[in-house]
Amino acid sequence: MNPPTMRTLAQVDAAWAWAPFEPGTDGAWDLTAAVHLYRRAGYGATWGELQQAIAGTPAAAVQRLVRGGEGSDTFEQQMADAAEPLLGGSRIESLAAWWLYGMLQTPYPLHERMTLFWHGHFATSFAKVGSVELMFRQHQELRRHALGRFGDLLTAIARDPAMLIWLDAATNRRSHPNENFAREVMELFCLGSGNYTEDDIREAARAFTGWELRQKRFTFNRYQHDDGLKTVLGKTGRWSGDDVLTILLEHPATARLLTAKLFRHFITETEEPPARLIEPLADEYRRRDYDTAWLLQTMLGSKLFFSPLVRRQKIKSPVELVVLLLRSLEGTTNYFRLARDVADLGQALFEPPTVKGWNGGREWLQSASMVGRLNLVWALVSGTDPEYGNKGDLTSLLARQGIDTIPAAIERLSLLLLGEVPPPALQVKLAAAAGNDSQGRSAVDRLRYARLVQAIAALPEFQLV
Amino acid sequence: MATSRRQFLQNVLGGSALISASLTAPAFLTSTARLLAAPGSRDHKVLVVVQLSGGNDGLNTVIPYRDPLYARNRVALRIAPSAVLPLADGIGLHPQMRGMAELFERGRLAIVQGVGYPNPNRSHFESMDIWHSCQRGDEATGGVATAQAWTGWLGRTLDCLPGKQRGEVTALHLGRGALPLALVARQTAVPSVESLDRFQLRSSDGGLSVAALRELSAASLSLDWPTANNDAAEHPSAALVQFVRQTALTALDASGKLQESLAQERAAAGYPAMPLAGQLRTVAQLIDAGLPCRIYYLSLGGFDTHANQAATHAGLLEQLSQSLAAFMADIEARGHADRVLVMTFSEFGRRVQENASAGTDHGAAAPMFLVGTAVKPGLIGPHPSLADLDAGDLKHHTDFRQVYAAILEHWLGCPAAEVLGGSFRPADVLKPS
Repeated sequence: MNPPTMRTLAQVDAAWAWAPFEPGTDGAWDLTAAVHLYRRAGYGATWGELQQAIAGTPAAAVQRLVRGGEGSDTFEQQMADAAEPLLGGSRIESLAAWWLYGMLQTPYPLHERMTLFWHGHFATSFAKVGSVELMFRQHQELRRHALGRFGDLLTAIARDPAMLIWLDAATNRRSHPNENFAREVMELFCLGSGNYTEDDIREAARAFTGWELRQKRFTFNRYQHDDGLKTVLGKTGRWSGDDVLTILLEHPATARLLTAKLFRHFITETEEPPARLIEPLADEYRRRDYDTAWLLQTMLGSKLFFSPLVRRQKIKSPVELVVLLLRSLEGTTNYFRLARDVADLGQALFEPPTVKGWNGGREWLQSASMVGRLNLVWALVSGTDPEYGNKGDLTSLLARQGIDTIPAAIERLSLLLLGEVPPPALQVKLAAAAGNDSQGRSAVDRLRYARLVQAIAALPEFQLV
Repeated sequence: MATSRRQFLQNVLGGSALISASLTAPAFLTSTARLLAAPGSRDHKVLVVVQLSGGNDGLNTVIPYRDPLYARNRVALRIAPSAVLPLADGIGLHPQMRGMAELFERGRLAIVQGVGYPNPNRSHFESMDIWHSCQRGDEATGGVATAQAWTGWLGRTLDCLPGKQRGEVTALHLGRGALPLALVARQTAVPSVESLDRFQLRSSDGGLSVAALRELSAASLSLDWPTANNDAAEHPSAALVQFVRQTALTALDASGKLQESLAQERAAAGYPAMPLAGQLRTVAQLIDAGLPCRIYYLSLGGFDTHANQAATHAGLLEQLSQSLAAFMADIEARGHADRVLVMTFSEFGRRVQENASAGTDHGAAAPMFLVGTAVKPGLIGPHPSLADLDAGDLKHHTDFRQVYAAILEHWLGCPAAEVLGGSFRPADVLKPS
């Protein structure tokens, strides 16, 4: 195995792939590698964070991302407090704005990222649930278990009022078992299609009878529970709903489905992961009682994660587009307007399009036009849009970093936003787009920096992470 | 040849010096050429697809209201015979579908009854994928198709239209969210827009022009400046970079074309204030403006009525019916009636017997609507029997691919077997042209 010659995942050996990345022998631990790590596992990094990362080891940087930075607990409490006044309202956009604030300000970006990952996995939409408070309560469960044990998360979500409403399971009577939850828990949350039969769904649905909502709270109605024998995935017993969840968690397909989904999220979405790469990791994930933090630390610190094979193999989601940009440039913004614009690009938080969540990948660019992305980048950095206002000031940001010319800005912004410095011929194009003049140093104003960011954003590589 | 292609591309891109030889991939070339070469057209035939997402309850849409089994299976959800809009043979439309009943009377509506496919899948996604792709990913066939390998029947239609004609073909998806799999093609990136004003580049306040953004979108760090150990064509991310580049150029060009179309807009006929009507109105504007688009794709969601179905379903059918009626009236007034065909479908019907929550669960066969002057009007095929069921669901007698085959062969002019991946006898739904 000679990693530089790898062209496809089919050539990758599992033992090599998941072994820890060793700087030097496996490639450089430099700004480009650090940008790759922070874009995939965090929500982008500032210049200072990148410098700190490459001064240490990659393992330490991964560890910091997985554990969270200083003040994570305090921040979590502040977020919960900040949400309180929104819960009596009827506008989900407020909660979406609140969440975007969290993504932009958190000392623990991987936590926000995983919360969004699970929101897509257990996709539930306000469009049907209709209650900001219930959407928030579900969201808190996703936050609580985001990097914890998947079994705890699954158990919490199976009782979650928003989920029960979403899947029409708010009343589930013995005489008419609701198959919807039983179907989705098998098809989407755990096993994946092909690993169960229609009979398994009917039998599992019986096990969930008696699960109800009363006054927006989960209750178990034993009079409506069918306590007869059920056979689910070949196992027979007087199964309760929780027993069925346990049976699903014991099935190897569940860990494999989750591991493959995390693989597509963190490593590459252009190639389906071969079973050979997924199975050893998934089986260990299951043996470790679905310890998601362990799985992430292993994936993110691996040789495969840092290999050229998987760099720039993902299309930015709308959330990634704006959060990576603003965190890298240390900008703040109008979160309400941002929530609306992100929704217009195809990612309305708390309103995933289907129970399958967001498909992502190429669909991001096909549905939300590139023109919309370019408009949004411009609105965020130019200060010309009255609703966004003049918040993220590129001139003062770059001045703080000792930069006050277009050529220096091209180098710094390209590193922050693309992870590499463009070749000279392209730098000329970027400078022309920014509106360079012969003095070079003089008259560098905010609009020129903004045009430079827009020009960088127009390069195809900008849309990738 | 290589030189002339490259030269052509440079002309297309405004003489950009950023084009390297590695860029002259045929797919990118044809796509760009197509966009640039496509003239407006006022005579090609147009297909408008309206997807009813969630599984429409066909039994309460096209209703066998005299069948005692209907009343027996539908208690809470039964539509009274006196309320049904009668069509023929004991079959009638839901009371909220007056607009479609009128289209039926005027010979503009074909209702294909009992449409489905063998061994029906009752998962929304998998069944929708089957209708979109005409392929089955849910049955083991020896190898699982990867996401990239999947294309849709309309996407393959765009790819297969021959020669000169193909250079003029595009499709447009109106709506938020993912591009429907049906429109995914191998060689054509179909634009997807939610509303047309959001599709315009905002560059009046000091931002870069369309031309400047085009030039930068055509550039690429990794493809145009390959390094020694980063050979462009074989770089693992080359395909994705190509895709982004092609999508960006498509989007920027479409933006300009749509702007032109809207500038020529006429006053629209009386559309109801409903989302689907608004989208159909946009389609009518674009058709009338001569946008070189053969296929428009829209969705109406919310048909997954597991509980308290009656009011929700009535509202959706009213929206469908009124919107289509207004659209057809507008299209006729604009003089395009003979070149527009509308097709509706849903991923499945619903179970014959209602559930305990005054709703219905996932089922199988259901009717499809075809609207236009080209249809053979009337009821096509019998209503499926309510006595002879498959696990509680209606059995189909017409495969949806037979309806597709008719549209492909007799409307879009495209060999059906190639698109559908097999030979299907076209359903008798269109007048001979």
